[in-house]
Amino acid sequence: MSEPFEPRIVAFLCNWCSYAGADNAGVARMESPPNILPIRVMCSGRVSPEMVLRAFRSGADGVLVLGCHIGDCHYISGNHRTAKRIPLVRNLLSYIGINPDRLRLDWVSSAEAPRFTRVTKEFVETVRGLGPVADEIGD
Amino acid sequence: MAEQDTLIEQIRAHVEDKLPALDGIVALRRTSEGTASYLFHEGDDLSQLVLNPRYPLSTTVSMLQKRFPEARFGIVARGCDSRALVEMAKRNQIDPDRLYLLGVACTAEEAEECHCATPAPDIAQWPQAELLGTPVEAGSPNPIVAEYDAMPLEERRVFWKQQFSKCIKCYGCRNICPVCFCEACALENPAWVEPGVLAPPFPTFHLIKAMHMAARCVACRQCELACPSHIPLTVLYDLMRRDVGRMFGYVPGDDLEALPPLSLTLE
Repeated sequence: MSEPFEPRIVAFLCNWCSYAGADNAGVARMESPPNILPIRVMCSGRVSPEMVLRAFRSGADGVLVLGCHIGDCHYISGNHRTAKRIPLVRNLLSYIGINPDRLRLDWVSSAEAPRFTRVTKEFVETVRGLGPVADEIGD
Repeated sequence: MAEQDTLIEQIRAHVEDKLPALDGIVALRRTSEGTASYLFHEGDDLSQLVLNPRYPLSTTVSMLQKRFPEARFGIVARGCDSRALVEMAKRNQIDPDRLYLLGVACTAEEAEECHCATPAPDIAQWPQAELLGTPVEAGSPNPIVAEYDAMPLEERRVFWKQQFSKCIKCYGCRNICPVCFCEACALENPAWVEPGVLAPPFPTFHLIKAMHMAARCVACRQCELACPSHIPLTVLYDLMRRDVGRMFGYVPGDDLEALPPLSLTLE
């Protein structure tokens, strides 16, 4: 009998908001899914398409990019670029037949621990429904 | 082809007139060894100046302008060359004030073959420019792009896996690209593209290239022509052009003043 599918998620968390939000969720003993592999980046704007693609190629079933809300970016407008870039990457994934819902962009501030747990839980369930990434990009 | 013959004669005569005032004009030269980009000077044999086969000249102009920071060069430019120069100017790779642009209108057959939306340079936006030949109507858009949204994910995946599996990673699509200029290319970075693997692992190589073409690709079709494996790259790049147009109202190569949206803040 094969093991049930547990999605692996790479989450890029911005240092100033989302990582702190995730930290707060932990400190407050809130339950968040163990499927998330967090990678701390200084800004969500640092997350290049290359990084997203490498995560998928390395076996991530989903990639989550979390940054500060628009207007709250520590670098004023870093997340503006993210907001423009990630939708394009999603389109591009869909054009070559990879489900774009495997990539999600959302905003979580440092005070939004409940939001962090909600977004991560939602995303894990979405990706669970999509199945392993290897089905789509594997050889 | 009488019309074409007279057009090339006009171009040669025009280049001859302009050469004394410039430090050279970049165009294509055909010799017994083949056709390549060339910097024509006064006294050169202008009967060797040709328009075909098409080859992008913007990177040559960029290289020359950087090497000779005071010089004023000219270029014999088709619509696609002009669009590429516009994108290069926005990224500080060429200086429009030191460039004389001799625009050439493509023929209707050429416009159709390239699915070209603007088969003649828009000379109004260049500081010094003239246009030879009669601008023709835009070619019909790439039919695959219009039907693409109806194609199921599964079918797209099968199609592109098959196409990308033909890639021999020759970097021809990048090398010929008139708007590629980075000294350190992401496609040669082992962190992103595993070296020594053929075909490059699906889909990283081609998606990185496509993402870098967003808000930049001027639809010159050279990558597709250069590809020895006949991968229909322009389908992806046309889709990106369409999306960037829809999302940001930006058409690469259209307007020297409009800045690339991906490096700007939200409105």
